[in-house]
Amino acid sequence: MLRVLILVTCFVVPEVFAKPFVIGKVSDNPTKHYSYLKPMADYLAKNLAEFGYTEGKVLMAKNNRQMIRYLKQQKIDLVTETIFSSVIFKDKAKAELLLKKWKKGQRDYESIIFVRKDSGINSIDDFKGNVIAFEDPGSTSAFFVPAAILLKAGLSLERLDSPRDRPSDNNLGYIFSNEEINTATWVHKNLVQIGALNDHDWHKDDHLPRSYLDDFKIIIKSPRIPRAVEVVRPGMSHALKNKIKSLLLNIHKVPEAQSILRSYQQTKKFEEFGDSMEATITYAREVVALLNAELN
Amino acid sequence: MRMPAHPKTVTAKQLALVSTLVFSQIAVISPSAIAQEANKANVQSSSSFLKLIETLRDNKTLTEAQYQALKQHATVEEKSHTDSAANNTSDDDVDSRINDDIDNNVELALETEGGVKLATYDGQYAFELSGRLMYDLTVFNEDLNAIGNGANLRRAYLGVEGKIDYDWGYELTIDFADGDADIKDAYISYLGKSDWLFKFGNAKEPFGLSELTSSKYSTFIERPMVTEFAPGRNLGVHASTYQQNWAFSASVTADAWDDETDDEGDDGWGFTTRAVYSPWHTDTQSLHLASAWSYRETNDENTVKFDTRPETKSTDIKFLNTGKIRDVSNITRLGFESAWVSGPLSLQGEYMMAELAGDQITDLSFDGWYVMASWMLTGESRDYKFKKGAFGRIKPHSSSGAWELAVRFSELDLNDHQVAGGNSQISTIGVNWYLNERIRAMLNYALVNNDRNADDDGSVLSNDNPQFTQLRLQMDF
Repeated sequence: MLRVLILVTCFVVPEVFAKPFVIGKVSDNPTKHYSYLKPMADYLAKNLAEFGYTEGKVLMAKNNRQMIRYLKQQKIDLVTETIFSSVIFKDKAKAELLLKKWKKGQRDYESIIFVRKDSGINSIDDFKGNVIAFEDPGSTSAFFVPAAILLKAGLSLERLDSPRDRPSDNNLGYIFSNEEINTATWVHKNLVQIGALNDHDWHKDDHLPRSYLDDFKIIIKSPRIPRAVEVVRPGMSHALKNKIKSLLLNIHKVPEAQSILRSYQQTKKFEEFGDSMEATITYAREVVALLNAELN
Repeated sequence: MRMPAHPKTVTAKQLALVSTLVFSQIAVISPSAIAQEANKANVQSSSSFLKLIETLRDNKTLTEAQYQALKQHATVEEKSHTDSAANNTSDDDVDSRINDDIDNNVELALETEGGVKLATYDGQYAFELSGRLMYDLTVFNEDLNAIGNGANLRRAYLGVEGKIDYDWGYELTIDFADGDADIKDAYISYLGKSDWLFKFGNAKEPFGLSELTSSKYSTFIERPMVTEFAPGRNLGVHASTYQQNWAFSASVTADAWDDETDDEGDDGWGFTTRAVYSPWHTDTQSLHLASAWSYRETNDENTVKFDTRPETKSTDIKFLNTGKIRDVSNITRLGFESAWVSGPLSLQGEYMMAELAGDQITDLSFDGWYVMASWMLTGESRDYKFKKGAFGRIKPHSSSGAWELAVRFSELDLNDHQVAGGNSQISTIGVNWYLNERIRAMLNYALVNNDRNADDDGSVLSNDNPQFTQLRLQMDF
């Protein structure tokens, strides 16, 4: 009888014990990001009880490679990341892009490459032999995207140690300014000839003072890119995916969830990709491939 | 490897195997949603199941035909689960070369900016070692009293803080500047799901913008005189919470940890509360409005003393000194705070008052205030930390550092009725050079204007109007 019971139970559906709903993020500061993500993990777990979830948890990965592994192992249910990391997770771990996230209240952004009006630079064809200031190596909008634009245009990027260093004549030198205001100031003072910012910083006084703006002109703008993306693990059932989507799409209307949204990187709301998803993924994939090939 | 054929014997390993399967798959009735989410467990359990039936066959519990039938069934199940889980086993990327044992070890995020920060990637544990050093040089332009020039180690903090099991935390900071161990923050904290942060132990009562802004981030070398009224750190329970535009904190405290009876009368027990309203608070623009109220019952000695140095710790002379005021049964404190930041400019001001009452004395009232303005010459903004209702770290835009110019006027009046503790007005101009985020040099020049009662309870000449120049080099890590 015991044998029969064992064999029968082997084929019966498992998983009735404590099951966490896990939100993940690539992080170099787990303590800080834990406090950002935990309230949302708790909220989703509570509202996904019908799927067996009993608690919310957070698990950070130290890099994309580890996150890919976590996704494949289904240790993480939902990842909140940039569109570029999300596309890597989609391609490498078969994760699925779920929704756009209005991180810091921003739906999307575009990268702007600019110069001084009196620089004599009128197009990307004039960039060779000059120096561009990006923000920092981790910046999506002020490094990855503008760098990909330049690489796609056939320019060779040469890393410099100081804005006063010069690249070889056939290359475009680049340097990291670490702050948006530095990028603007360096271009304005002609310390470097070209700068890259996103459009939100372009319109922020403290990142680009009004007094500078009249002296600048825009050479290139990138396509508009989602500010952040929510990704779900591979193998997630349609029912669960749809429920998560529904919860997130409506969370901005839930009064008691407003502090959760604020904590979740000051998110204003979530939004469906709609028809733009394929084009966005294609563009992001192109950027990732270019940067992998040219800068790694 | 085949198991020995002893059909009547069940090994510990077999028992463990059976137990695992039974307990991991004990659900008999589950919603379909759960079934759809069960893939990953099924993939693992199918291989365990194969081992089980193999063992049972070896033990002659199952016939070969039964074994093959069950194996075929299990294989079909596994394939189905594997497909639906999109496990991507054919992917030839780096994953196949990664040793999964890594995940079974504790992985830590390690970070340093001079100190050490460690954290587990699941947010369960964290540890931080930090400290601060402040070295001061002061030159006085004496008036009536002799005040020696001097150098001193103003602060030498070493601290640890951390997190245990997600919601619990601790902080222990000790100041070694005077050659002994002076406990500063020493508490256990709990951050539950109720949006309230609780601290149990020695921490600052929530009173005063300047008092609650860390000395690491103070615009001037010393806080204004009026912070003499702030209760400071005491042992008790401290709670705080915040929403989008407001923050609230409260504390119920007993004695200070060292129980110094001449320490502002901070004995007995007290209740302090503070409300902060900030209609806007961005990286560069903020408005801070706050009010705090505190009530404290004095201890059996029923004495209170307010005394303060002239905004420098390089002298022991406390021109303003009420001496011990006896028969005081309680102190009520009230404070109003405001601060405005717009890009590189900021204004800040506070008013505080303290009322002393007792059955045997006439009620006494003392008050003080200050206003200050700051201009970041290099364009940075003072970092307003709304959740704490205090200011934080200045981050220089340039690798050559940041410069700040600031002025302050402050006044404290400890004269009322029979108490002649003195009145003092101090005007200060300051220049700060932030070499980087964690090192700064500060230069203050101050004009002190003491009244006829400002005589350190009779121990120095009153009406003294010294001036002093103070230089600080500071580092925190």
